[in-house]
Amino acid sequence: MARTLSDPGSGAREQNRLLLIATRRSFTIIVYVLLIALAFSMIFPYLWMLANSFKSRTDFFTNPYSVIPMPPTLSTYYDALTIGRMGVYLGNSILYAAAVLVVQLFIDSLAAYSFARVDFPGRETLFLAVLATLMLPGSVTLIPTFLIAHGLGLTNTFTGVVLPGFAGAFGIFLLRQFFLNIPRELEDAARIDGSGFFGTYWRIMLPLAKPAMVTLGVFIFLNEWSSFVWPLIILSDWKKYPVTVGIALFRDVNQINWPAVFAGSTIVSFPIVILFVLAQEYIIGGISLSGLKG
Amino acid sequence: MWKRVRKTWPGYLFISPAGLLITVFSYIAIIFSLYISFYQYDIISEARPFEGLENYTRALSDKLVRISFRNTFIYVIVIVPSITIISLMLAVLGNQVRRGRALFRTVFFIPTITPIVVTSMLWVWLYEPTGGINKLLEMINIEGPNWLFNPATALPAIMIMTIWGAVGYYMIIFLAGLAEIPEVFYEAAKVDGAGRWHTFWSITIPLLRNSLIFAFVTLTIAAFQVFTQVFIMTQGGPMNSTQTVQMVVYHYAFQRFEMGYASAISWLLFGVIFFFSALQLKLFISRELY
Repeated sequence: MARTLSDPGSGAREQNRLLLIATRRSFTIIVYVLLIALAFSMIFPYLWMLANSFKSRTDFFTNPYSVIPMPPTLSTYYDALTIGRMGVYLGNSILYAAAVLVVQLFIDSLAAYSFARVDFPGRETLFLAVLATLMLPGSVTLIPTFLIAHGLGLTNTFTGVVLPGFAGAFGIFLLRQFFLNIPRELEDAARIDGSGFFGTYWRIMLPLAKPAMVTLGVFIFLNEWSSFVWPLIILSDWKKYPVTVGIALFRDVNQINWPAVFAGSTIVSFPIVILFVLAQEYIIGGISLSGLKG
Repeated sequence: MWKRVRKTWPGYLFISPAGLLITVFSYIAIIFSLYISFYQYDIISEARPFEGLENYTRALSDKLVRISFRNTFIYVIVIVPSITIISLMLAVLGNQVRRGRALFRTVFFIPTITPIVVTSMLWVWLYEPTGGINKLLEMINIEGPNWLFNPATALPAIMIMTIWGAVGYYMIIFLAGLAEIPEVFYEAAKVDGAGRWHTFWSITIPLLRNSLIFAFVTLTIAAFQVFTQVFIMTQGGPMNSTQTVQMVVYHYAFQRFEMGYASAISWLLFGVIFFFSALQLKLFISRELY
């Protein structure tokens, strides 16, 4: 480009300019082609999953790669919900995710508020102790967590599945950052009006922290909905399995009924797709933040 | 001091639920884990003899443990740079296009939010001998292998799926990092006559340092603990070719109930993870930012 500018001949300059535009345009086209090809590779497996979930078994065996089921059937969903017990698993997953979501949001925000605003002795040390747990690999805590839950009589129970997820260092960190950025004047006003610590937290801080709470809430839900290893270990009764463990059981059967697996997979993915459509900005924002702050 | 405590006691009250849970499930857990790694500890029998370093020496000579560490190292060495480089390229390319940027971001993100169990099941089907992957290879006249049942291709198959599934997430991390780079740097480079490639290496990469460190370190930690994909797709087979450390820990702890021995293996893994994270942070942070 610098060379073009220093070129004295106007004809050559024009030629160079055209060449530059041409390279730039072909570059853009290559970028688009590449991105579109990759985007197809990302979306196609899921399109197949969706299409196959509506195929009868004969249709699936003859045309497993067609994207349009001929004729579409809902019997696969019936199979997944009854024979595949997805109905039971779905109910359990909703229960687990809802419990962890509500309780963790409450416990995390309470702790985060305290860390952000109450100047109690030992605060910095305790906060560091919370943050340090983020460094612990789950691999090391898995076995002792199981043994502790076992010792508390929580194996194969609802409580056993959700209890370790009731507090999260990441959530406390995220909410504390948010609370720190809220002006103090608002709380002072509330305190003068006679609000106690809890009253200020509940009536003033929580409503103000709504964006951060939504972001964290989405992450907690996604995490719990996808969680696999912990429920697999702590539960032994299929009636208590969440969808993730339930769908993995399909694999154990010798003859896999693929259309039913795809129906089950679609059921598992459905709430997440809805959540993603509704809260995409929060999810992307949350991930971007973790990368920038990290 | 006591006056301050008396005035600020609700602070302790508020952190106590979280504090209790974190103490039990992180601090007590990790101490307990270290403790039982020196014992023969199973869940059923009451006799739990002290073993000293027996569990650790046994792990070092256990063939299954060795294979699993080798596989895990290969896995980490392949997927961490692959995911970092591909997602960085995607972010840089995605940043160049004007139209459809949000759409690309959304599409690349789909595999990331889908539960790994679902994605793994889907790929089991795609990797079947006459499955989608081999159908694609057929189009360019390549006869695809029986991916998940061939010891030579099972681990690569899992790695390909993992890379495919993770790039969308790190693309978002890098897009956020790119958005933080002030436009003036690029304008200055343009005035100086720097080409695309030169700009990328001397502006984009150094200024994306934080995002790069984050991606590299978190990816490494996660990759060392790979479990779910393997559990669903191959169960460690065929012929232990996809056996990873976490699979072996699971095997000893929850199938053979040798909790002490499994804990010792998990501590070896922790040691490795700790070593590599510290090394990476040291390497990255000692480089001066200009």
